[in-house]
Amino acid sequence: MWRKAILLSLREKKVFTIFTLIYTILIFLTSLFWDLALPPSELSGAGFFLPIFFVTSLFLSLLYAWILVSRKRRVWATFKCIGYTNRNIISLVSGMILFTTIIGFVIVIEVLFHYTAALTYLQSADFLLIMPTILIRLWPVIITSGLFIFVQILAFILVYRKVLKVRPIIALKKVGE
Amino acid sequence: MSADKDVMIEAVDVNKEYRRAGAIIRALAEVNLKIRSGEFVIVSGPTGCGKSTLLNVLSGLDLPDSGRIIFDGENIARATEDRLSRLRRQKIGFIFQDFNLVNTLTAIENVEAVLWPTVLRQKEIENRAISALRDVDLLDRKDHFPAQMSGGEKQRCGIARAVIHRPRVILADEATGNLDPESEKQVMDLLKKINNEMETTIIFVTHRDLSKYATKTIKMDKGRIIKVQ
Repeated sequence: MWRKAILLSLREKKVFTIFTLIYTILIFLTSLFWDLALPPSELSGAGFFLPIFFVTSLFLSLLYAWILVSRKRRVWATFKCIGYTNRNIISLVSGMILFTTIIGFVIVIEVLFHYTAALTYLQSADFLLIMPTILIRLWPVIITSGLFIFVQILAFILVYRKVLKVRPIIALKKVGE
Repeated sequence: MSADKDVMIEAVDVNKEYRRAGAIIRALAEVNLKIRSGEFVIVSGPTGCGKSTLLNVLSGLDLPDSGRIIFDGENIARATEDRLSRLRRQKIGFIFQDFNLVNTLTAIENVEAVLWPTVLRQKEIENRAISALRDVDLLDRKDHFPAQMSGGEKQRCGIARAVIHRPRVILADEATGNLDPESEKQVMDLLKKINNEMETTIIFVTHRDLSKYATKTIKMDKGRIIKVQ
């Protein structure tokens, strides 16, 4: 079912792109501020933003879960009619949310990798740069993404509750009824 | 339990009421019915006579207030939601008036979706979907999205989705309601062919006169069966 969740995510182009972009920015900023709050930078006030970012991530995952279930109620009702259990549908929706976060993480890693590669090249070519070669260390990014996924447990609970409420009979009603 | 082995679905003293705007509407009243394996049953009657409610109750989409529904030897009137889902996956195919195809999936993916939760391998699922689309003469449209198909093609895709898991019963609720007469004929001929060749029991709810396709017709009015032919 996870592969099918990925397929469904990718086909929801607009929603998927918007949420992936927001997750990417959020993971990037959280990781950056986390890195800045820790030695050797220890920038004062940087840690203050971390809880805000995590609350934003929680809000984002709840919003995404709500959009996926509520806007597609007829699809999930049809799936129930053709034999899907609640568990099958929850797997699909949770997989869609999880996949978006993972793609956000991969994009952040990719961007940081290319940033470091470009800076290293420029320094080797004797360009004088004031920017650090490593913008964010790897482990704050990994921990941030891990925590974002952990926070999504609440979104999965929301999905569970909302999917249970979708009655298969909705699928038999006429569109707009 | 029914003693008659040939009976696919049996309704015994089934009652169902709805509350709407404070009023009680009796959708099904003391309905008794036997549908045998391989029958093509047309359920007809005026709007609000209870025919769709009957279909919902027979398929386990809705539960009766009282009475029993024996589906292939099993009383489903008090079955759990998970049990009903599995029953639908194994034994029932649905055809909807509004087609209910997933707009973001191609024709073949819509058909395959029925088998996604099963243990079958993707290759086997794909082969079955191709076979189902070939049966409904839609193989050349397999990579098209619903928005790229006509109403008749969408419904044929819906039929392929309903038969891919080789169900014992196909339930259709006003399945030709949104089609032009030519597409309606195509769909009905196709269902008749499935009924004959696969011996699938078909229960078709409609307000139109399609009795020429049926082996049994049931007329309903005010929640009661008034005529079985």
